[in-house]
Amino acid sequence: MHFDPIFIIASALTLAVLLASAATHKVRAPARFAKQLADYQLLPQALVRPVARVIPAVELVIAFALLVPVSRYWAALAAAGLIALYATAIGINLWRGRRDIDCGCAGPDQAQPLRPILLLRNSVLVTVALLASVSPLARDLGFFDGFVTVAASAVALLLYAAADGLLANSPLLLKLIGR
Amino acid sequence: MEGLIVSNVLLWILLAAVAFAVMGLVRQIGVLHGRLAPAGALMMDKGVAVNEAAPQVTASDRNGRPVNFGYAGEKNQLLFFLSPTCPICKSLLPAIKSIAKEQADRLDVVFISDGDMDAQQKLIREHKLEDATYVVGPEVGMTYQIGKLPYAALIDKTGTLRAKGLVNSREHLDSLFEVEHLKKATLQEYLNSQPHAHDHSHGHSH
Repeated sequence: MHFDPIFIIASALTLAVLLASAATHKVRAPARFAKQLADYQLLPQALVRPVARVIPAVELVIAFALLVPVSRYWAALAAAGLIALYATAIGINLWRGRRDIDCGCAGPDQAQPLRPILLLRNSVLVTVALLASVSPLARDLGFFDGFVTVAASAVALLLYAAADGLLANSPLLLKLIGR
Repeated sequence: MEGLIVSNVLLWILLAAVAFAVMGLVRQIGVLHGRLAPAGALMMDKGVAVNEAAPQVTASDRNGRPVNFGYAGEKNQLLFFLSPTCPICKSLLPAIKSIAKEQADRLDVVFISDGDMDAQQKLIREHKLEDATYVVGPEVGMTYQIGKLPYAALIDKTGTLRAKGLVNSREHLDSLFEVEHLKKATLQEYLNSQPHAHDHSHGHSH
């Protein structure tokens, strides 16, 4: 299956920015991320700290690799795998009934409980990652193509931030109206 | 073709602007949620009932002048209970002072504290409360059964207690004036009365 390179590069760019921002949040507050990871109760206590160090590094490496055409295919598959792994972690804790732990999905000011809708969010991200892994249709790219790619991923990122904010707000709204 | 490209560029830019505006709105709603979270000053179910005559008590302020509480007067009275050892009380003082200034023509603000006089003097100096009515002594706090600080009570002109509660922020303080306006004891009571109105009528019909 072949897609126009604009779709693929824009998906890769969007994903790279998302992963890089996620990694910076984790690097800036390692203690908080370690606590969130421990709250998921999926790893033995001894492994929590080293894994909390490694995950942001992995995210950064994938983010950079996504931007390089040569490594894009593998990086996109790795990103899809990582996001699917997060979804599994959320799914396991939802199944355990531990809904009240912090998702740790977005930045520090967006603590939100686990909900099934987060699985939907992650599956959308996996779709974007899989789209980025498709090999592009060979064609010459001009300046205008570059502009469309950057603009499309900028809009996608802004909409993602807005959707994420709505997700984080909805439990607060429910609390406010007393449900 | 040239026109199409220009229109496309323009559309992308405008779309990005709209997406940015949406994200900004969501963020602002998030901030509002953060500020709203504990709606209204918390009222413990003890002490004087709201919307009934406030207990009448007279205490002398730090200069020895008598101050009346709970008597009918020309202005509403806001009682702010504080202590020099309570950091949240101090953080609320600017808000209290600004309320006192805004509503100077219809509201008397009285600061009520207890304990060590030197610490009181220091607090008064630090926060420039020299001109404020400042009562030091246990009488008023005991009469109104204040257990937790910072606590505020609002008494209207006729000597009726209109609102009271534990206040931790400017929003809590404002909520006291809001509930006075809504004729409810606390903001919680007002909020609870809204969605359950139907349930009550339902309950009576059976």
